[in-house]
Amino acid sequence: MAGSIRELRRRFKSVGNIKQITRAMEMVATTKLRRFQDRAVASRPYAREIQGLVGRLAAVLGDDLADRPLFRDGEGTGTAVLVVTSDRGLCGAYNSNILRKLDAWRRARMEEDGPVHFFCIGRKGFQYLTKRGTEVHSFFDEPSLEHMDYRSAANVARALTAFFLEGGCREVRIFYTAFESMVKYVPEDRQLLPIRPDELLSGDEGQEAGGADVILEPDAGSIFDTVVPRYVETTVFNAMLESLTSEFASRRVSMKNATDAAGDMQKLLQSQYNRKRQETITKELLDIVGGAEALR
Amino acid sequence: MELTLRVITPESVALDTTASSVRIPALDGQMGILPRHASMVAALEAGVLTWTEQGASRAMFVSGGFAEVRDNTVRVVSEAGERPEDIDTERAQRAAERARERLRKAHGGDHDVDVLRAELALRRAIMRERVASGLAPGLRAAMGAGRS
Repeated sequence: MAGSIRELRRRFKSVGNIKQITRAMEMVATTKLRRFQDRAVASRPYAREIQGLVGRLAAVLGDDLADRPLFRDGEGTGTAVLVVTSDRGLCGAYNSNILRKLDAWRRARMEEDGPVHFFCIGRKGFQYLTKRGTEVHSFFDEPSLEHMDYRSAANVARALTAFFLEGGCREVRIFYTAFESMVKYVPEDRQLLPIRPDELLSGDEGQEAGGADVILEPDAGSIFDTVVPRYVETTVFNAMLESLTSEFASRRVSMKNATDAAGDMQKLLQSQYNRKRQETITKELLDIVGGAEALR
Repeated sequence: MELTLRVITPESVALDTTASSVRIPALDGQMGILPRHASMVAALEAGVLTWTEQGASRAMFVSGGFAEVRDNTVRVVSEAGERPEDIDTERAQRAAERARERLRKAHGGDHDVDVLRAELALRRAIMRERVASGLAPGLRAAMGAGRS
């Protein structure tokens, strides 16, 4: 093994420094992960209420549903795509997984599917697209990803809805990362608009509305029209929270792996260093003993 | 008999309490709810939610959404639910001023202004100020309903 004792000691130190940094990053990611998990849990009752009501009203409205603007194909051509990635790297395969999914989807598109209009949350996805010469319609970088709250998610949803309603596209899709467990994050491709009625009528929510004696104030249609935009907003908010949770879970794991790898390397360097040191001592001893022998 | 009152927002459950009467800012005007109310779903506009809790009247700002009444439970689902002490009065005043400015421009023939949005913003700001200053509309009426 090449390298002097001093060289080995220097490498040992620098690996130690990197290990300290990755361990700090791991801890930061753990804290943030917990925070976003809490927020995801806190947002669930709201999403459940909205979804439940939209589903029940959809059951009441029945066939009228297909005439509502957010349930019809848009007037424009092509697809608007919202891509949710991270702002920063060092989070394992998180970004490449979602971008690979996006590329696969784009390759499968036909000529007649029309153009793709890109909307980005997260700098990595934006950079990925612009570097490849793809035009990005909107990049939402204010506020920064970590400071996104419901209001900023709602703004994104409104921008997409307006684009859709003004004839910018035929459909809106959202590419994000679903958080399944601490070690499993799945890139997802979901249709945001037009809303598919079948996804609203999941579960037994439909039956409950059957209780026809519920007073609707002012009427089913009006309530529905005020709640549906909220439904779109919660969908975007939820996708964002899940993506952020996945990002920090992924970052935590990759930083933990880096810390462990640095530990292994340190062990290796330490044993090399010890062997080298022993060798030198033995050599020096032999020299002394040899010299003493020669003097006799 | 009491009502369970819950205000649910995207970031949290802003309120979970019991009340003897509740008053909601429905689209068609204020609406009072007493125990044993029939099942109802009502769309809300930005305004003041008031309720009577142990004889005392309380208020909260809600920014629209809807309210659902079922089995003596009132669930208000809104983007924002703010108690008077949470409201930044200065910010609300600034927001009101901005909205008024936009409306003045629209009045002067500026077609770039989204009048509806400005009006809604102004309404939210005014309602926030009202809640913060304790001048919620119908506060007294809600108290009266609580006693009966």
